Amino acid sequence: MNKKIVSAVLCGAMILGSAVPAMAGSADGKKIALVGKSAGNAFFEIAAKSFVETAEAEGATVDTVYPEAATADAQIKVLDNLISQDYDAICISANDVNALQAKLQEAMDEGIKISCFDSATNPDSRQIFVNQAGTVAVGQALLDACLDISGGEGQFAILSATSQAANQNAWIDAMKKIMEEDDKYSKLELVEVAYGDDEPQKSTDQTAALLEKYPDLKVICAPTTVGIAAAAKYLQDNGSACKLTGLGLPSEMLEYTGADDEHSCPYFYLWDMQGLGKLSALTTIALINDEITGAVDETFTAGDLGDYTITAADDGGTEVVLGAPLEFNPDNIEEMAKLY
Amino acid sequence: MEKKSFMKKLTGSREALLAVILVLLFVVITIISPSFLTFKSLTDMLKNNAVTMVMSLGMLCVMLVGGIDISIMSTLALTGMSIGMLLKYEHISSTFLAFVIALAIGIACGFLVGLVISRADVPPIIATMGFMYIYRAMGYLVSHNGEWASAAALGKFKDFATTKFLGMSLVIWVIILCYVIFFVFMKWTTIGRRIYAVGSNPSAAEVSGINVKNIKLLVYTIMGLLAGLGGALQVSIYASAMPDMQQGGEMDVIAACVIGGVSMSGGRGTVLGALLGSLILATIAKALPLIPFFDQLWLNTIKGVIILVVVVVNIVLQRTADKNALKGREM
Amino acid sequence: MAGKSGRSINNVPKSPVKQMIFSWEGILVLLFIAVNIFCANFSEFYNLKSLLRQMPVYLAEIFLMLPMAYILVLGEIDISVGSIVCLSATMACIVANTGAPFIMVILATLLVGSLCGAVNAFVLTRFEELPPMIVTLATQIIFRGIAEIVLGSGGSISVTNTEGFAALGGKVGRVPYILFLVLILGIIAAVILGKCTFGRRVYAIGTNRLAAYYSGIHVQKIRFVIYTLMGTISGLCALFLMSSSFGANTTTGNGFEMDAIAMAVFGGISSTGGKGNIAGGLISAFIIVCLRVGLGQRNIHPQVILLIIGVLLIGAVALPNIIKEIQKKAKTAK
Repeated sequence: MNKKIVSAVLCGAMILGSAVPAMAGSADGKKIALVGKSAGNAFFEIAAKSFVETAEAEGATVDTVYPEAATADAQIKVLDNLISQDYDAICISANDVNALQAKLQEAMDEGIKISCFDSATNPDSRQIFVNQAGTVAVGQALLDACLDISGGEGQFAILSATSQAANQNAWIDAMKKIMEEDDKYSKLELVEVAYGDDEPQKSTDQTAALLEKYPDLKVICAPTTVGIAAAAKYLQDNGSACKLTGLGLPSEMLEYTGADDEHSCPYFYLWDMQGLGKLSALTTIALINDEITGAVDETFTAGDLGDYTITAADDGGTEVVLGAPLEFNPDNIEEMAKLY
Repeated sequence: MEKKSFMKKLTGSREALLAVILVLLFVVITIISPSFLTFKSLTDMLKNNAVTMVMSLGMLCVMLVGGIDISIMSTLALTGMSIGMLLKYEHISSTFLAFVIALAIGIACGFLVGLVISRADVPPIIATMGFMYIYRAMGYLVSHNGEWASAAALGKFKDFATTKFLGMSLVIWVIILCYVIFFVFMKWTTIGRRIYAVGSNPSAAEVSGINVKNIKLLVYTIMGLLAGLGGALQVSIYASAMPDMQQGGEMDVIAACVIGGVSMSGGRGTVLGALLGSLILATIAKALPLIPFFDQLWLNTIKGVIILVVVVVNIVLQRTADKNALKGREM
Repeated sequence: MAGKSGRSINNVPKSPVKQMIFSWEGILVLLFIAVNIFCANFSEFYNLKSLLRQMPVYLAEIFLMLPMAYILVLGEIDISVGSIVCLSATMACIVANTGAPFIMVILATLLVGSLCGAVNAFVLTRFEELPPMIVTLATQIIFRGIAEIVLGSGGSISVTNTEGFAALGGKVGRVPYILFLVLILGIIAAVILGKCTFGRRVYAIGTNRLAAYYSGIHVQKIRFVIYTLMGTISGLCALFLMSSSFGANTTTGNGFEMDAIAMAVFGGISSTGGKGNIAGGLISAFIIVCLRVGLGQRNIHPQVILLIIGVLLIGAVALPNIIKEIQKKAKTAK
């Protein structure tokens, strides 16, 4: 029993100790938990790093927590652990839209603020979603890239992650909808949506199959980091006439990006990952400090990112949208690859 | 005996049966999608399944002594991630050195697994399950909690997989070399025959002067070596190292061996069988996306059904073969 | 002694007291106490209250350990259980969303689980030469594949009426229902395996299948029953899992088979068959749960937790063997 008290005191001292030097912030002594989709994801790490830096500059302590596997089951266990500790807020990138609802509501009942980023839960289990880029904006950017790269007409295909990936499905649906509504895209033909399960091996098989099935294929659009790198490698190694665009990490795509025939990808998109981490951190802190409650039309200032207004999200909840997707092309990729 | 009819030979040998199944698969797929049977498509297939193909040789040895190893893909991730990070932070730049380091780490991992199994007498599935967690965790730690080594960071190392020799990628030559070496090793060397001896009857092998413990240690070390090679190949082929690569892939390797007629209780199985088994799996993986009839959602189910059908058909044919053999004896 | 953990058919106890202290189960009890003292010191939040609150999700996996222990005692393995959990959870959602009474939902879930188990059982008994690992690997892919097809694009489903599932997740005071159910089922499973003819036959088959067959045991019938039960219990696991997630998706139950096997093996049940008992499996399951909760409450990296479990798993089996070896050598040296 004695030992328990000693260790508790030590822990308390440690928390205080780490909080003391940063007295200037607006979130002194607050505890935030940042929950990722899985461990070992470079994509998440970049945003997490910027999240932690921002929140610590404001005086909060952040624990980055990972589930054991990229499943909702594992995230439920993580949330259970977090509820046991005295966190002020949890910011989560969800593995499933609905499965976390019970636990997140339990957390909110305990007074813990819940924000989502990167991948949202359903509206009932969150207070706010920090959206990296508007769904329609991403779909529009990708479709315009396909139109541009194909020269205005011809076949294109989509290489996605899994058929269950909520983000990817939303973007693909947005693309399909835009195609139907605008005559500009009438000469583009979406031949297939293939799934590479975010595994290099399967993505390579799927890319090869697309090329064999559709010899006239002009563009492959891969809105997923692992898929785009695997497809880029296959197309480039084979000197294929088919080009590539999509969403990817600049550091992964550096070798494949170029306007000439030697490179498979003329340009691709992603969003400002550091900005996403920063905005998520500041939004979460605003929730803790009751500056916002997560209702539509509330506004808050997110440091040097500027003012943000909370808007209604497509799923019926509320969100803050970071901005338009960023384009990575031969001119800026070298520089961006150093960042992420 | 020498006048065995062709049909009898065909149904009498497990490998011949597998070859027939493979040819049937090829025919069906080519009818559906003619582009399947081209040189480029076939070399693509080999290259994309190099890791499984090479590693099923190690699994063959392990299963021959009645063992199993489910830690291999964690070893692969650890070795691949290690050389990925070494190249990324420019501690090394030579492709040759990277391969040597990968093999060395693989051997060390396999040796440790073998030590625990042969000296501490831990059942293989338990020991390798433990090491599956341990090596995978070490892979994550090596990656600084989830950094990736991308194409640009890998420098010249990734060129290994794109370099061609006599029209085929070096990766394919590695596969061929491995299979030739193992064919000779398993068939004509003393150690190779001893592995079979240990698997068929450990106590008889012990009595006849074979050090069973050392043979067991050896097979897991070989498995580790090939897992290390697999790690280097994986990183080179896909020009990317991630700590969670090939998670769950050990089951593909085991399935390749079992489909190839390698017995899980030890003593039975050939290099040719392992080759055919992994080729069948590779063909399925390559062909499923080519077949236009199915929704993409159906792919996994179809893969599972095909594996099940292949092993069941194998058993049924084996039963009739055994029956036929007995008939011959009665006459 | 500890190496020959648990009970084996030819292991007659010499002195009951000595047997109890030096048995693997005795060591596990000590370890259980040690782990709890460690966790209480390690995490300031670790107490009975937080343990009981966090436990239900882990307890659902302990269900799976019980039939898995039978399968391991047979000297076999079933790696399809995680997928059966996924498929039965999916079906439970679909049935629940039709507005059927909750009792129907329970029956349907258990039925789907049992059917999946029966598929395994049918293939394995009809083609008895087939290794269980490869058959259940194929069905693992198939069952999850069917769930993927049923769930379609999006891959996730949630129940609209959560009342029934919420009731399943209920508590008596602070103690969740599921804890009682785990203990009751655990005792039943232990008694059947340890004291009944059926259980002794399972040991006989695991020790020597051929000998068991020739001594008149219906080997295939027993295997059929056990694999089917494995499916039924997977359905049960799915039901309780849904009392915290109110839904299913394509990754539900992923990796549960390995957790269940690890619990059983750590508890002294040999994967080579014929050895071990349920008590050991249950204690070790609770050790792992406490360790995971305790380490998790200090946000230890999950890979590190898995690393610790891996070391424990190997150590638990290797150490007794090494000690025995050393003792043997010391004896011969004398």
